[in-house]
Amino acid sequence: MIFRGGDGGTGRLPTLIPSATEGVSFLLPKIFFFLLTGAVACSPGASDTGVFVDDLGISIELELPVDRIVSLSPSLTEMLFAIGLGDRVVGRTDWGSYPPAALEVASVGAGLSPNVEVVAARNPDLVLFYRSTSNAVAIEQFTNLGIPSASFLLDSLGDVPRVARIIGAMVGQREIADSLADVFARELAAAATRTTANQFSCEAVILVWDSPPMVIGGGSFLSELLRLAGVRNIFDDVAGPDAEVSIESIAARDPDVIVSLASEIPGFAARQEWRVIEAVRESSFVLISGSQFEYASFRSLDAARELKEKLPECAP
Amino acid sequence: MIRWFALTLLALAAVVLGISLGPADIPLSRVIGSVFGQGDDLTVAIIRDLRIPRSLLAFLVGGSLAVTGAVLQALVRNPLAEPYLLGLSGGAGLGAVAAIALSVGGVWAVPVAATVGSLAAITLVYRLAIVAGGVLDTRVLLFGGVVVSAFSTAIMGAILALAPAAELRNAMLWMLGGFNRASWLTVTVFACYSAVPLVVLYRAARSLDLISLGEEPAQYLGVDVERLKRLLYLMASLLTAAAVAVAGIIGFVGLVVPHGIRMIWGHKHTSLLPGAFLLGGTLLVTADTLARTVVAPIELPVGSVTALIGVPVFLVLVRRWVK
Repeated sequence: MIFRGGDGGTGRLPTLIPSATEGVSFLLPKIFFFLLTGAVACSPGASDTGVFVDDLGISIELELPVDRIVSLSPSLTEMLFAIGLGDRVVGRTDWGSYPPAALEVASVGAGLSPNVEVVAARNPDLVLFYRSTSNAVAIEQFTNLGIPSASFLLDSLGDVPRVARIIGAMVGQREIADSLADVFARELAAAATRTTANQFSCEAVILVWDSPPMVIGGGSFLSELLRLAGVRNIFDDVAGPDAEVSIESIAARDPDVIVSLASEIPGFAARQEWRVIEAVRESSFVLISGSQFEYASFRSLDAARELKEKLPECAP
Repeated sequence: MIRWFALTLLALAAVVLGISLGPADIPLSRVIGSVFGQGDDLTVAIIRDLRIPRSLLAFLVGGSLAVTGAVLQALVRNPLAEPYLLGLSGGAGLGAVAAIALSVGGVWAVPVAATVGSLAAITLVYRLAIVAGGVLDTRVLLFGGVVVSAFSTAIMGAILALAPAAELRNAMLWMLGGFNRASWLTVTVFACYSAVPLVVLYRAARSLDLISLGEEPAQYLGVDVERLKRLLYLMASLLTAAAVAVAGIIGFVGLVVPHGIRMIWGHKHTSLLPGAFLLGGTLLVTADTLARTVVAPIELPVGSVTALIGVPVFLVLVRRWVK
């Protein structure tokens, strides 16, 4: 069996979700059930071998079922819990706190350039990485140790269902993973269509850091969340997920709102140079915090809704 | 005289260009109007509250770093001396990284922490270099600077390894340096603060000419070498610490600009120091203008642009000089 990820996936089994119109309202209770219990709805089948291709284009041969997984990315950890595989996660990263049940799993430290010895000591059948050049050495070391590993990119909302399908197939939880992926993909498409039809009613900048000013670019899932909330990211033209810009660039593009990844209005708002921006002078800040805004996940559509509620003046 | 006129004109042109160009597409006619407060509020604010203070701050910092480099090269009689060599960059970096990694609150937390770090490094290096009889040994000064920098870098590495990813990147970005914090307040504070060290360093120009010959000849020629060394070290360090506080760590200017001026105008510090100030300011304000505009809206690290402009110019000068 060879499974390759991609839009639409391959070999999709019949969905468990009865109706797309029930959408996320149906999806969330199901996810929460798995997140809380880590329960596996259906047991993997008899011992088998599968070949999978990860986001580095590497073929991974796995002996199924996969019982012990170390996840080196908070987004992948959350995804494993969401598709009901929480009880198979035997290692997680320091960073990441969702779902709460994941905190009961032993931490193996950093997710990028991980400590190979600590991860190997968890005796995993599979190690999951966030796709990054920082992990190249660790991947090679795991290969030498005979521990299979796979790397996935979860940067955009479209990556969520795509990666869920691959991981579901890898670990023998395909039906649930495909079902969740299908519903998410449909909801995402529907939300995107609604936004396009309504046009943007507001413009915003998502500020990550003030010195130097770092903003979210069009390549980040946060920019997608803004779009779904009916708001245009003024730095949508920046291809990468983020970029260092000047205060002048922000002032010249004159955002209606400043979205800040903080729990209170940042201190820089009082500084002379920042007060050139009208939205700063008028204190038009929208504060967002929580892991739903830290990486793309099945909760992202909810995060977009939360963002929209915080921007009533931007409602179409 | 013509050389001074040309260099002053070049410096003025660089500042005017810095005020005229930016990521916001503002035509020259509106730029001129905005300087005098005419035009829409946003354009006036961009020109008067962002571009003018930023260009002035870049010029002042560039000039100060170049003067500091020239003084330190004479003081330790080493052509590789530069403002950050004496442990300052390590101390400043450690202070900033510690403040960022520990999420110390407050708008001025990072620059203040950087200044405290650099002052601590200066004091430590200075104490190391005071040898028997209270003599400031410039060889130990250099050695102490390198050792304190290495030690600071080691602690910084440990802090960064323990800090969350976002904090780690923010700390690294801050250390690259830049003028995004420029405002009339920072320009005023820096101008007032740097005036004293700059005047003291310039007044020591003739003594520096003598000390370049060696400490002993300078002593015989009437220079109170020990007092002078301490004064120059203190002033140069305070000037660099201030530059770090407002602009982070910007290398290259303090190392290369003094050599460039020496190649053109010779070694006399009475002309070397003001020449280095003008050329250092010109280089940094030009680098900052390019950093803001070349790939706008993305801003490049000003230190990279400084080296990209400065290295080819410096190589041309070196080739002319060795011929």
